[in-house]
Amino acid sequence: MAQHTLEVLVENSPGVLARVAGLFSRRAYNIERLSVGPTANPEVSQMDIVVNLEGHALEQVIAQLDKLINVISIKEIVPNKATPAVHDTQPDYQN
Amino acid sequence: MSQMTGASSLVASLEAAGVDVMFGIPGGAILPAYDPIFTSSIRHILVRHEQGAGHAATGYAQVTGRVGVCIATSGPGATNLVTPLADAAMDSVPVVAITGQVPSVAIGTDAFQEADIRGITMPFAKHNYLVTNPADIPRAIAEAFHIASTGRPGPVLVDIAKDALQAMTDFKYPTSVNLKGYNPKLVPDNQAIVDAAALIAQSTKPVFYVGGGVIKANASRELLELAQLLGAPVVTTLMARGAFPDSHPLHLGMPGMHGTVAAVTALQKADLLITLGARFDDRVTGKLSTFAVNAKVIHADVDPAEIGKNRYADVAVLGDLKNTISALIPALKAALAKSQPDLTPWLRQMNSLKSTYPLGYDIPADGTLSPQYVIERIGKISGPDAIVAAGVGQHQMWASQFVSYENPRTWLNSGGLGTMGYAVPAAMGAKVGAPDTTVWAIDGDGCFQMTNQELTTCALNNIPIKVAIINNESLGMVRQWQTLFYEGRYSNTSLESKRIPNFPMLAESMGCVGLSCERPEDVDATIEKAMSINDQPVVVDFRVHRDAMVWPMVAAGASNDDIKIARETAPDWDSQEL
Repeated sequence: MAQHTLEVLVENSPGVLARVAGLFSRRAYNIERLSVGPTANPEVSQMDIVVNLEGHALEQVIAQLDKLINVISIKEIVPNKATPAVHDTQPDYQN
Repeated sequence: MSQMTGASSLVASLEAAGVDVMFGIPGGAILPAYDPIFTSSIRHILVRHEQGAGHAATGYAQVTGRVGVCIATSGPGATNLVTPLADAAMDSVPVVAITGQVPSVAIGTDAFQEADIRGITMPFAKHNYLVTNPADIPRAIAEAFHIASTGRPGPVLVDIAKDALQAMTDFKYPTSVNLKGYNPKLVPDNQAIVDAAALIAQSTKPVFYVGGGVIKANASRELLELAQLLGAPVVTTLMARGAFPDSHPLHLGMPGMHGTVAAVTALQKADLLITLGARFDDRVTGKLSTFAVNAKVIHADVDPAEIGKNRYADVAVLGDLKNTISALIPALKAALAKSQPDLTPWLRQMNSLKSTYPLGYDIPADGTLSPQYVIERIGKISGPDAIVAAGVGQHQMWASQFVSYENPRTWLNSGGLGTMGYAVPAAMGAKVGAPDTTVWAIDGDGCFQMTNQELTTCALNNIPIKVAIINNESLGMVRQWQTLFYEGRYSNTSLESKRIPNFPMLAESMGCVGLSCERPEDVDATIEKAMSINDQPVVVDFRVHRDAMVWPMVAAGASNDDIKIARETAPDWDSQEL
């Protein structure tokens, strides 16, 4: 199964890592790798989440993640493709 | 902008959010908020247990469509709200819970009455907040009400540290809410509507699979128009009872584990499920891989994560159901103008099932009371405007089956979480929301013993609900499963102990009128007596026979094709042209 990387922009608010990690845990999805870092905007952090999921399960993870109020946008980095597929209907947070 | 305490800012924010009533209990950490509550225009109803506050807020919200509000202190006060908030999450009910938290400097020190209620509610709350800065209170409240009531409704908790309630702050309620990560899609894409209409116009065996979302979206009138336009059969799930009139000829009843043969079979044999605000719950689908195997699926919902979660959707329509159904009506008219399939054979088959396998029950030969009869008579005598709140178990299924629901927001129950003890406090909240309407709690004797303390609240606050205890001296649904699946080994399901407690006496002790009834010939007179008392809560102990079972039934994990209409009795499929 191919690894997929989700680039998740989140509000830099207390508890946001617990919200994301808890979502994966309670819906029984594994996180292969997770890194969290700042962005140019101090109110926004970026989480890169690597998962061993594809197809329906991957779509569900993205849909459920998107329901978290503190999640601003999700980009899926498709393996072996240079341009990311944007899953979120919302514009990227750039300012 | 004016200077006030965080507590006053909280109460002013709740007033600005339009709150007219809240249910709660004070305690140390929330105490600062109770001082401005003392003089607020908001009616605060002092409950006897925080769980009662949560379910009351839920009942209020389900009846009025407004946000229900409950309030509690830190630690045990907050943890007692966990069950009703999880319940509200499963049934998509807009509820805002306010909890006090220990002072911010004490957070994380295992202080007295400290519990991480934000962490505890994180897995199921639609969202939650921990507020430690008093300046954040108005924004948190405004956002909480916005999130709870828009999109797919749900519970939001706002936990506020005691020192934030005590400190001085400027109060300014936000005029708008701007959440970068929250923007529910309410208007469906036109292409999805066109695709859905085209699929419907090709179908010869369509069925409307209607869920609670139709009620949440206030889309019953639109549904009636759409269903009549197509002339296809309609099934209403446990959460959707009342979304479509039971008396309507197109209505086949409730699908699922205890659904009617016609409703279950309609879903199984359909070539198209027009799914409106339903979520393919396991209690509806039975074994998923054998559910409606020949059907294409249109799935209309406001929650994108529900689409494709359990069942692939051939056409997904994302949006508020009132908008979606309103847009579908003209689109379907246009599609039907081009091709109108003949639904007559399909309707004939379904009507044949409906008339061959109506819901029914046996009258006990020994002259004892049949629980289904009691519930049926309550429905008939109270009429279609009355509100019924059920607990969880056999009586809940019978209250869904044998009361005829004609209007949305007249049937309240704990569908998703299955919370025993829901009925009495939910009925209390319902009566507060609809004081001029008859509100019945139809409860089991097991459920009733979990939350009946709120009858004291009802008696003292002029909330004259009526409670029918369907008393079989058993945890009836569990007992039924023991009968069917555990060789009648009734481990810990008998509550019988020489009529202890004495329910009418218990009711009287809480300021209610207590009645009892154990003979079929007394049922109508007892219900009428209860109906005639409107200045006090009434509790009727209906002593029913304990071996009644809920039928039809699809066993847990079984295929809907294996529906039984009585023990080891399947419908006579050979006589049906399906």
